[in-house]
Amino acid sequence: MGFLHVWAYVTLAGFVLGCAYKAIKYATMPMHLRWELYPVAHERGKASYGGSYFEEVNWWTKPRESSKFGEIKVILEEVLTLKQVHEHNPGMWVPSLLFHYGLYLLFAMGAALLAGGMAVAVGFRPLTFLAGGTLMSVWGALGLGLGTVGTLLLLFRRLGQAELRRSSSPADFVHLWLFLILFAASWGSFVTFDRSYAQAGNFLAGLMRGEAVSPGSGWFMAQVGILGLFLIYMPWSHMAHMFTKYFTWHSVRWEDLPNLPGTGIEKKAQKLLMLPVSWSAPHIRGDGRKTWVDVAREGGE
Amino acid sequence: MAQARINPIRVKDIGKPAEVLSPVNLQELAPLPPPFDKDDPAKLWKELAAERRQEVEASLDGVSALSLKRPSSPEEEKKLLEGFVAGLKKLLSTENNWTFLQPLTLSLEHCTHCQTCAEACPIFVGSGRNEIYRPSYRADVLRRLAARYGNGANPLKAALTGSVDLNWNTFARLAELAHRCTLCRRCTQACPIGVDNGLISHELRKLFSQELGIAAQECHRTGSMQQLKVGSSTGMPPAVVKDNIEFIDEEMSEKVGFKIETPWDKAGADVLLIHNAGEILSWPENPGAFAIMLEMAGISWTLSSDIAGYDAVNYGLWYDDFQLARVALKHAEIAKKLGVKKVVIGECGHAHKALTVIADRIFSQEYNIPRESCLTLMEDIVMSGRLKFLPERNDFPVTLHDPCNMVRAMGIVMPQRRILHKIAPRFREMTPHGVENYCCGGGSGFAIMNPNNFASWKYLVAGRVKLKQILDAFEGELDPSIPKYLCAPCSNCKGQFRDLFRAYNVFERTNLLYGGLVELIVNATEGVPEGFLEWEFH
Repeated sequence: MGFLHVWAYVTLAGFVLGCAYKAIKYATMPMHLRWELYPVAHERGKASYGGSYFEEVNWWTKPRESSKFGEIKVILEEVLTLKQVHEHNPGMWVPSLLFHYGLYLLFAMGAALLAGGMAVAVGFRPLTFLAGGTLMSVWGALGLGLGTVGTLLLLFRRLGQAELRRSSSPADFVHLWLFLILFAASWGSFVTFDRSYAQAGNFLAGLMRGEAVSPGSGWFMAQVGILGLFLIYMPWSHMAHMFTKYFTWHSVRWEDLPNLPGTGIEKKAQKLLMLPVSWSAPHIRGDGRKTWVDVAREGGE
Repeated sequence: MAQARINPIRVKDIGKPAEVLSPVNLQELAPLPPPFDKDDPAKLWKELAAERRQEVEASLDGVSALSLKRPSSPEEEKKLLEGFVAGLKKLLSTENNWTFLQPLTLSLEHCTHCQTCAEACPIFVGSGRNEIYRPSYRADVLRRLAARYGNGANPLKAALTGSVDLNWNTFARLAELAHRCTLCRRCTQACPIGVDNGLISHELRKLFSQELGIAAQECHRTGSMQQLKVGSSTGMPPAVVKDNIEFIDEEMSEKVGFKIETPWDKAGADVLLIHNAGEILSWPENPGAFAIMLEMAGISWTLSSDIAGYDAVNYGLWYDDFQLARVALKHAEIAKKLGVKKVVIGECGHAHKALTVIADRIFSQEYNIPRESCLTLMEDIVMSGRLKFLPERNDFPVTLHDPCNMVRAMGIVMPQRRILHKIAPRFREMTPHGVENYCCGGGSGFAIMNPNNFASWKYLVAGRVKLKQILDAFEGELDPSIPKYLCAPCSNCKGQFRDLFRAYNVFERTNLLYGGLVELIVNATEGVPEGFLEWEFH
């Protein structure tokens, strides 16, 4: 087993563990004070105009009508059409849409090849279309094409527009250059060696079986190497928004659960209110022993 | 040697020496509609006097909201910067900031700088797109500082996030910059990822207040501290507020021709009504109209004369979690003591959000008395048939301002509209409206803050987009021969409109009266003599 295979294992594991770490980190953060922002997508019958249960007189006596479908609809609309960018930043929309669709296609292909490899490793029959062919060629070329054009347009925009360039962080450029290098290596592999993605399928299936399938080409090796770098880095960057968006939307923007009997909120809050406080301002004078509720019950300076 | 200004501005420039980093450019302000387009903004601009500039920090944009004094020695400066770093670490810890840790961390870690938020910000747009007012600008300064000095900081993270120096310039400008955002969260609403740059302004204010004791004095010393000690941020103790309400009752009784008597401290009442006490001093017709409406509708209600019980404001919402909690607990204790069925918050947006939403989770069951908006109670009264209406008395152009805290932050959108459709035949919407409304420009405490030359910044920058939007709603009807009404059911918004309209002579030039919703209701109520609304006493 060569370095490339070890690298592939390490980076795949790093990606999964990194994503899991981040997801667990956000999921286990303490309950926060409410900070919802309307429209809240699950407000049945009211989400279309941004209304809430607060519109009802004696709202605490009425049943709350919540719709998971409403949330899914908004998230899907956002993921598939980048609605917010379209409405508020139209110049960025086409580059961003192309870029994201390229990634969706390539991510889906990678996941399909990986899942196919796993299935074969545990004894299922291989799926014919995953073994390489026209469908995979078109799928890959389309993903790479959209991704490359999108990345180039985003890069030109970020470099060419003075306001955008000035407000960018070094990471914003590093990510785009990394994508370009990854796509260049992937194109190299596609054009010179693995147009049907049969080798990619074999390589991943080999990894799943614990066998070291030869990469067979320098371009392919470069592709795996850079992709690995990307995978291991991604969960620690702002690109993690691909899954942390669940928290920003679902756990903050749409988190409108009132503190009513049976919700368990009071019980959680009681624990948090007992945490020690060490803020130093004169009206707080937290000494690391006084609790949050002690300070809240004081009158200040 | 300090430069006069730095142009163009980048995030890392915040710490650079410059007399003024990025001044308000009067030539680039967003245009206003005729006839206001001919106004010379220079007439509204107040340059900070040279002596004052020596005393207070104004090197961000030539404006001082905080009257921040420069440190007198390198040791003092070092102590302040160390305090900032300590506060930053606390802001990112569970013990000290469980209240907002999850939303803050998510917003610090996921901005892609796509600038989708920028055009949603009325301050950025109103200023003519001054870089320092870009919603991501102040947030990025904090992101960079957190990558260097926060918990889990490391050199790679710092290098990828971007450079910024932590020095007095950064410290002072960041404190001021946290007060160039009204926390309206329109930027958040636009963000495809859900990053909340408005929250970052809020958290920055908390860091300065909770660790260093630096806050706008109108919000802290004469705001929430005064409310907790004296009873109200207006400075009115209980005896004075009772006198004032008695006077209002007399006025109202005279107006309507029957006796109006506000009940005080009535145990077991259905409703404890808490007004923003500013209404009592600045817009007495508002609490007066509430008294008329509630009495005529036969509602069992009361006001409280306990400390803080007659003032719904909760300025802690804008800058300090502990001040927020202290005031909210006072309100809850009073409701419990009186044994009321519910607390109804008067026409005050931030008080709505503070007591109903933000403080919701700090109330244990015995103090968790139901809280409700006055808008829903008013809708219930208006639609129930308990009162009869003569909408023709409101036969003048009316538009509605949506207070951010009631609408975007609470989703109370339709009750006020259903009322207006019933009682105001010439009601028209602004564009945009509802949850997409623009802030009045007085949000997050700005309406009560007028130190140094901050007021002129509010008139020229913060309120500019809103002023345009209001005037546009009356397009073709701006002639002063047509009386017209801006319905703004929020005391802070009204405070901003009062000052903004005065600055631009809006009433004199257009005959546009601003006021609340309850006044319009009472103006159209059968049994109340005609002419409750009085343009001549604007």
